[in-house]
Amino acid sequence: MKPLLFLLFALATAVADEASFTHRVTGLFSPDRETDLRAATEKVPGVKLVSLDFAHAEAVFSYDPAVAFKDTKPEQIVERFNDLLRNATRSTFGIAKLDPTPKDKLTRVEIPVAGMDCKACCLAAYEVIYQINGVTAATASFKEGMLTALIDSSRTNREALETALKNRNVTLKAKP
Amino acid sequence: MRQPNKIRPHFRNTTFRLVGICLGLTLAGLPSNAADPITAEAFLKEHCAECHDATEKKGGLDLASLPRNFSKPEAFGLWVKIHDRLESGEMPPRNKPRPPEADRAEVIKWLHDSLVTAEEPRLQEGRTRIRRMTRAEYENTVRDIFDMPGIALAGDLPPDGSAHGFDKNSDALDISHVNLAKYVEAADHVLDLAIATQPQAPIVHKERLSLAQPGGFVAHVIMNGDGVLLRDMQPDPEFPPAAAQTHLDEGAHERMGTFERGSTVGLFRHEDESFSPYFAAHVTIYPGRYRVRWSVWSFQWDKGKVLPARGTEAARLAMVQLTGDGRGGQHPSYVLGYFDAPSLNPTEHEMNVWMNHNEIFGFNAASLAPAANYAKEGHAMTFTGPGVAVDWLEIEGPINEVWPPPAHRALFGDIPLVEWKAEANSGVRAPARKKVRQIGAGRNRPDPENGVWMVHSEQPLADADRLLAAFLPRAFRAPVADEVRAQYVAKVDERLKAGDCFETAMRWAYRAALCSPDFLYHVEPQGPLDDYALAGRLSYFLWNSLPDARLLELAKAGKLRASLHDEVERLLADSKSQRFIDDFLGQWLKLRSIAANDPDKKLYPEFNPYLQDSMVAETRAYFRELLDKNLDASFLVRSDFAMLNERLATHYGIEGVAGSQIRRVPLPPDCLRGGFLTQGAILKVTANGTTTSPVVRGAFTMDRILGQPPEPPPANIPSVEPDVRGATTIREQLDKHRSDSTCASCHRKIDPAGFAMEAFDVIGGFRDRYRSIGSGDPAPRGSIDPFIGISFKLGPPVDASGELPDERKFANIRELQSMLAGEKTLLLKNLAAQLAVYSTGRSIFFSDRDEISAMVNRTQSGGGGLRTLLHELIQSRLFQTR
Repeated sequence: MKPLLFLLFALATAVADEASFTHRVTGLFSPDRETDLRAATEKVPGVKLVSLDFAHAEAVFSYDPAVAFKDTKPEQIVERFNDLLRNATRSTFGIAKLDPTPKDKLTRVEIPVAGMDCKACCLAAYEVIYQINGVTAATASFKEGMLTALIDSSRTNREALETALKNRNVTLKAKP
Repeated sequence: MRQPNKIRPHFRNTTFRLVGICLGLTLAGLPSNAADPITAEAFLKEHCAECHDATEKKGGLDLASLPRNFSKPEAFGLWVKIHDRLESGEMPPRNKPRPPEADRAEVIKWLHDSLVTAEEPRLQEGRTRIRRMTRAEYENTVRDIFDMPGIALAGDLPPDGSAHGFDKNSDALDISHVNLAKYVEAADHVLDLAIATQPQAPIVHKERLSLAQPGGFVAHVIMNGDGVLLRDMQPDPEFPPAAAQTHLDEGAHERMGTFERGSTVGLFRHEDESFSPYFAAHVTIYPGRYRVRWSVWSFQWDKGKVLPARGTEAARLAMVQLTGDGRGGQHPSYVLGYFDAPSLNPTEHEMNVWMNHNEIFGFNAASLAPAANYAKEGHAMTFTGPGVAVDWLEIEGPINEVWPPPAHRALFGDIPLVEWKAEANSGVRAPARKKVRQIGAGRNRPDPENGVWMVHSEQPLADADRLLAAFLPRAFRAPVADEVRAQYVAKVDERLKAGDCFETAMRWAYRAALCSPDFLYHVEPQGPLDDYALAGRLSYFLWNSLPDARLLELAKAGKLRASLHDEVERLLADSKSQRFIDDFLGQWLKLRSIAANDPDKKLYPEFNPYLQDSMVAETRAYFRELLDKNLDASFLVRSDFAMLNERLATHYGIEGVAGSQIRRVPLPPDCLRGGFLTQGAILKVTANGTTTSPVVRGAFTMDRILGQPPEPPPANIPSVEPDVRGATTIREQLDKHRSDSTCASCHRKIDPAGFAMEAFDVIGGFRDRYRSIGSGDPAPRGSIDPFIGISFKLGPPVDASGELPDERKFANIRELQSMLAGEKTLLLKNLAAQLAVYSTGRSIFFSDRDEISAMVNRTQSGGGGLRTLLHELIQSRLFQTR
């Protein structure tokens, strides 16, 4: 009986210590990726996806750091969370620190592109631009023929994105 | 002008005696039973010396200086040739006076008897010298002893030599320290695989694999339009075909699981130097039997649409042996089979195979023309053409009906495995266990290990004696004397005392047995074979392996000879007889050289591995059909049927054959095909990949088909350089052979068959004009796949006419076939000789000729069938004597 009581206490304590944390999420290149992210998050023990701000690629997760990221220093939790999520999704999702640039300072860039109506191709194109310093969020849809990005204009610009895309054989369409 | 008949009355009595004496010919050394040597000398003087004296020396033969001592090998060989030329009527030449027939016959008989007598001393020690097993025999023997039907050993043994056309000949089967070292390695490998190391069999897994393995070749070409992913026979909606833009970043697709959703793979491209389609996700960890099923079908692709196919395509399944780190392509492989892929009809094929360590399955869309959509605008979405679809491949295994497996039981019977415990085995070493590293991209993993297990005996020497008493006679194919067995038991005892466990000690004995002369050599007694030796000779002939239990039982009971006919039938009916057909034809008809060259891609763009494999399959199936139906010798060179599949039938211009399987097909009345000389395989092994040579093909026909090997070419004569520009024909280039009498003496015999075979190109296709990559007329496509580009032109016309040495003329290959088909005795004698060399491991001696003639006569009395000939050979003294 005693062990059971101890277990209940421990669980209650864990629940009591859970908190919400907002992180930037990589891999959110289209709205339907939310479903994928929810499924992926379930593979990370002790972490729940609470809400998602798709436009800014930010999500709120709830977890108890002491349980979900046991023996991890607080400053390394994002990195650890990133490792776990990447392992669970073959690196199609990841976790990053929030971008310091205020959202109202971000510029939305739209780049018309041509390519396969293929989810993996969208991921590939997304990854080309998302890895550029200054890009805080991006989407890719070859079905709609459009890539979008929220950028910090002080750190990057449209030409840099277009150059990176062309270097990876993404066909850019003429601007409308 | 001489009038031989008129002087004949003096021939024996006066004139030639005087001539002989005047010539000073010494007849010392001639056999004492010669009929009348002086008569022979006179005959030679009268009819031969004019051309073959020291001055003229035609054909390099100077009869005056030719030693009359037949016991000298060089002289013996020349006298055999003289005998043969006289017997065939080739000499004296037609433009010289003919000797009286009675004189000719008498001289031939004298020569024959003299040669036979002279040969006797050479044969005193037996005609077949002791010989070791060939690589193939070794491999088959191990496979059959241990019931490991696919264990690969031959490739790791040194290549065998060849003598008189076959590697089974004792003259070619020398042994060196390299052989011995390799035999030790091979024995260790066999024992590693045979001995069970766990009390339970490896877990049986059933996996369904996609051809589009992440990171593999197929995934890559699909990304770029040489293939597509399909769902329900339509393009996979989640993976559209590569179009104006190809798919981006293969790695991203792999991470998204694009190739692991169970989609069907449709390919437009066959295997080539840079594309090796593999089912790479399963890399064999546990050698053994596996059951494989796979589903394939074909379709017509039309810019994004899946439509009914043009017909049944062919899909090839191969076993690939990974090498190095297992990455990349072009690993060595062998074909498991070609399978039908019907139009829009997923068809499951199943087979049981043996897989060795680090083997995987390879695939090829064999019947497709080369496609290169990756380099074209629009990629798959602008391509219209045939495709082969692979739904999946399912592999199940390793399958062990009993555990420990038969291989282990052959060594250790029912002695149990026990777990190794150091405390219970003080002073005894644990058995060594060899770890084989899995290479490549396999996702299958080994079973968890459950400690070290070993074969353990409480009465080791008694068990050793019992086990070796069962194993040694089987391995040595004969009873083993007690003292011999005792030596092996003593070895076990020695190793036990040295601290080995029972299993390891026994392993020493087994390795010694597998490296012993009793195992490696065909041990045959002097003179007539005993029943065990006969059983061995028979089984190594028709199975290329050791005798089975029934043969040994018959030998033990002394009943083998009485049952020989039935046993031959039994052996031929067994699937193992295919080993004989493959091995014999590989050497007799040189099928082993089928891949010795790659035909020029510009001249012969339609050639591909599927065609080549079909060619070999045709020749093998044809020989099998000749044996099964007991057809006569004329079928060696002429036939009203062929063994074809669709690819070969198309190549031959024969309609109405669909599918990849070889079957008997009646030939149209006007068809030029039929018999070995018109088969693609024969025509390819006698060509160099660019051009054909009547000399090479003619020599092949004389040597392999007619049994009249031509003289080797003079050392200072360069080979004819092919003219692929189309300016001159080979016949024009060989004109010298007709104009130069020295050349003509041989080439009038060699060239005719080759000229007739000029009707077929280097890949066995019919031609009435030579292909050219230079000048010429535009070439019609003919039966060449419309998806194959053609750049060759049509050059000069082919002249396939010729004239045999006996001045019979033929206009084409059909007429030559008819002439050759009339030479049934000659054809049968040659085949009998070839089979005899193959089966007895020795060349045919002059004194064997009578025996061969006799068996041919009996064969012809029995209808002339080739199966009858086989029986006659096996029943003959020649076969049953060492």
